[in-house]
Amino acid sequence: MDNLKRCKKCLLPETHESIIFDEEGVCNICRQSEFKNEKIDWNKRKEELTELIESHRGKYDYDCIVPFSGGKDSTWTLYYLMKEYKLKPLVVRFDHGFLRHNLNENTIRVLRNLGADFHTFTPNWKIVQKLMLQSFLEKGDFCWHCHTGIFSYPMHVAIKEKVPLIFWGEPSAEYTSYYSYDQAEEVDEKRFNRFVNLGITALDMAVRLGGKIDERDLKPYTYPRLKELRKLNYRSVCLGSYIPWDVKRQSEIIQNELGWKGDLVENVPPGYNYEKIECYMQGVRDYIKYIKRGYTRPTHLASLDIRHGRIEREEAEKLISGYEGKEPQSLAIFLELVGLTKDEFYKIAASHSVSPWRMKLFEVEAGEKLPDFDAWSRDGKMKREDASSQLERWEKSVK
Amino acid sequence: MIGIVDYGMGNLLSVYSAFDYLGANVIICKHPEELSEVGKIVIPGVGAFKDCMELLKKEHFDEALNEQVIKLGKPTIGICLGMQVMAKKSFEGGVYGGLGWFDADVIKLTITDEKKRVPNIGWNEVSHTSNPLFEGVPENTDFYFVHSYFVNCHDSSDVIATYPYDIPVTASILKNNIFATQFHPEKSQDFGLKILDNFISWNP
Amino acid sequence: MSKRRLIPKLQLKTSHYNPSKMVLVTTKQFSDFIEIGDAVSQSKIFQDQGADELIFINIDRVNKGIDILAGIIHNVSAEIFMPITVGGGVQTEQDFRTLLSNGADKISINTIAVNNPDIINNASAKYGAQCVVVSIDYKQEADEKCYVYINNGSTKTKLSPIDWAVECEQRGAGELLLCNIDRDGMRYGLDNEICNAIATQVKIPVITSGGCGLAKHFIDGFKQGQADAVASGTFFAMQDQNFMQTRSQIKNSGINIRVYS
Repeated sequence: MDNLKRCKKCLLPETHESIIFDEEGVCNICRQSEFKNEKIDWNKRKEELTELIESHRGKYDYDCIVPFSGGKDSTWTLYYLMKEYKLKPLVVRFDHGFLRHNLNENTIRVLRNLGADFHTFTPNWKIVQKLMLQSFLEKGDFCWHCHTGIFSYPMHVAIKEKVPLIFWGEPSAEYTSYYSYDQAEEVDEKRFNRFVNLGITALDMAVRLGGKIDERDLKPYTYPRLKELRKLNYRSVCLGSYIPWDVKRQSEIIQNELGWKGDLVENVPPGYNYEKIECYMQGVRDYIKYIKRGYTRPTHLASLDIRHGRIEREEAEKLISGYEGKEPQSLAIFLELVGLTKDEFYKIAASHSVSPWRMKLFEVEAGEKLPDFDAWSRDGKMKREDASSQLERWEKSVK
Repeated sequence: MIGIVDYGMGNLLSVYSAFDYLGANVIICKHPEELSEVGKIVIPGVGAFKDCMELLKKEHFDEALNEQVIKLGKPTIGICLGMQVMAKKSFEGGVYGGLGWFDADVIKLTITDEKKRVPNIGWNEVSHTSNPLFEGVPENTDFYFVHSYFVNCHDSSDVIATYPYDIPVTASILKNNIFATQFHPEKSQDFGLKILDNFISWNP
Repeated sequence: MSKRRLIPKLQLKTSHYNPSKMVLVTTKQFSDFIEIGDAVSQSKIFQDQGADELIFINIDRVNKGIDILAGIIHNVSAEIFMPITVGGGVQTEQDFRTLLSNGADKISINTIAVNNPDIINNASAKYGAQCVVVSIDYKQEADEKCYVYINNGSTKTKLSPIDWAVECEQRGAGELLLCNIDRDGMRYGLDNEICNAIATQVKIPVITSGGCGLAKHFIDGFKQGQADAVASGTFFAMQDQNFMQTRSQIKNSGINIRVYS
């Protein structure tokens, strides 16, 4: 492997966000996992969940809102709440623009199977494009619209529909240490600002776009004001704070019970087909992470398996070196949609490298093409002249 | 209703904003009579002990406070200098009498470690007992301090929190309905707000 | 010493596309302004990410009115619950009063301190040393010596930053904020030499700024520069670098800073 310092247990490197190594060289995420397994009274938490649910049942048009992507976590959350508690949810989806065919089929199948009202919203593509380019340039992550939309939009629906209880899926302590397991993670504006919005709110984005956007177009990405949420008496929580989260077990259940299907994902080892199947830009997203931080999806998955005692370190290392760091086929689509050349892409991504990692660009290998690749929409390409003003601003900032 | 004493010293705006942010009904009391209309009292303060006591006396707040806090037992929080004036006397720039609610003196921080400074300005880890005002605050949480003098209690049971600065320095005191902090909860982010939130729902 | 601090430096300037609004900008060597956000919005983000305090400087060369700055700080104070240092265009003791009553905890003075150094003594006596921050901008010249610059880095003085820093302490300043103009926004590291020279000569806290591009630079600022705090304006604005991440990286290197969760 490379010479990044890694956790003695799970292999996550020093470039992983929020990681801290203790005196034994074990990372805080592993320690959080130990806490989760050993120190939480899950029975007590389940009682708290029941209390929370019963205090809201039947009082509003819907018992709760379940923000939904169609992936394993939100599907499990919906399934669990409906099966275990027989709730009447409003399922709310923010469509980031890159939903895959299998995922759409899953969504129809799951919702027909369970039976729930479904509210989906697809934002203006032209705005999405600008936001993708801007956030890729300035934060090395083109998913700003998705991060902010997914967490803000359902809150607007909650206010509009007057449904105060909102159930999200896994708590962030599973993957990072912005929150720890001994706190009840409220999915609120603080969390939004801590690590969801890349340090930029919609208001800041408007400033960065220099007035070239109608501010009304940024509403879906704007977290509602605390005063409005308070009036609603909102409770926005993670189901994973109340029941122990186990993605492998949960994925099996939704496959068996609901006919949910996994999918292949670019540059991910087989056996993980329940992960990140929603978005056809996932390959590019993972690749950019590799360019910046020297690790990506295979390391992430392997580290989870190590923590859950499913594989040993040596096996994990093999998996990682077999799959990590390949250039995805979807890169070509991404470049068209944001109006960049490949050279520009590498230059921009590399400028966001997290020290001490620096990617060696001459050893790039191409990844496999997935079966549904040709169905991935390439409509709405960005014209070069439209991209250029944003690009110029960025070039000015790095020269 | 929470009333913040405005006697001309102290960062009222931040204290007011913090309570308002937490959803409490809060007003600024410019006159002592207004204290009889509130259910809880806040005494802020930044500056020198002598000036503070002079202003409290000049505005007749001292009498009103004794009435509302000691006689009527309204839950009260003192912040920074607002905590120090609750002592019997202070040695800051002379010897001056305080409100005398706590059997304590206000004395200067003296340190031997040359890397430490007076005034102590910055974040320090606070150790606390189990009590309703620190509910939900983990042990060794950092709070923001700005002070050169501290409240030295003669009755150690009054002290509910300290932080180490060569010696354990009083960070918070509590007796019956009177609570006070040397640190600024309105400047200590989440856990500072948590303490104020606990004060809002406190029923001593 | 007490825990070292990490402080976002928020620079305010009139927006190019909306002249009635002041926005936050990044700079390079005190020019090349790029607009990056809204003051209240960014303050909230830094608060939620556990910054130790905030520094606001009005760097506009035309709109220097204290009332404008006070208005922004007033809005910030409604939602921000941590120490705030405010500066840019402060000229008189009345300006101190105005900003303090609008929510500032400390006032930073730069040009006026050089032109009328008694203001340091007077403000310190009236409001307390902990309220008075003297901001020192400087550059290295061809003769290899460093000189203090004022007026947003446009006017050279004959002062050496080290001598000036020592004098500021003697006059009652509570804290110093250093900025090497050549390194400002350039992302290749802080000036640890001058910082060290000053930090080892004064007893008041020293905040160093100008040049952070990597987490390592922050670490060097503490270890080599001996700074009590590192302030950064550009670093967080244009990178996938979250304040809490930087904090973890600094903590991992053994520096005693607040770990916030």
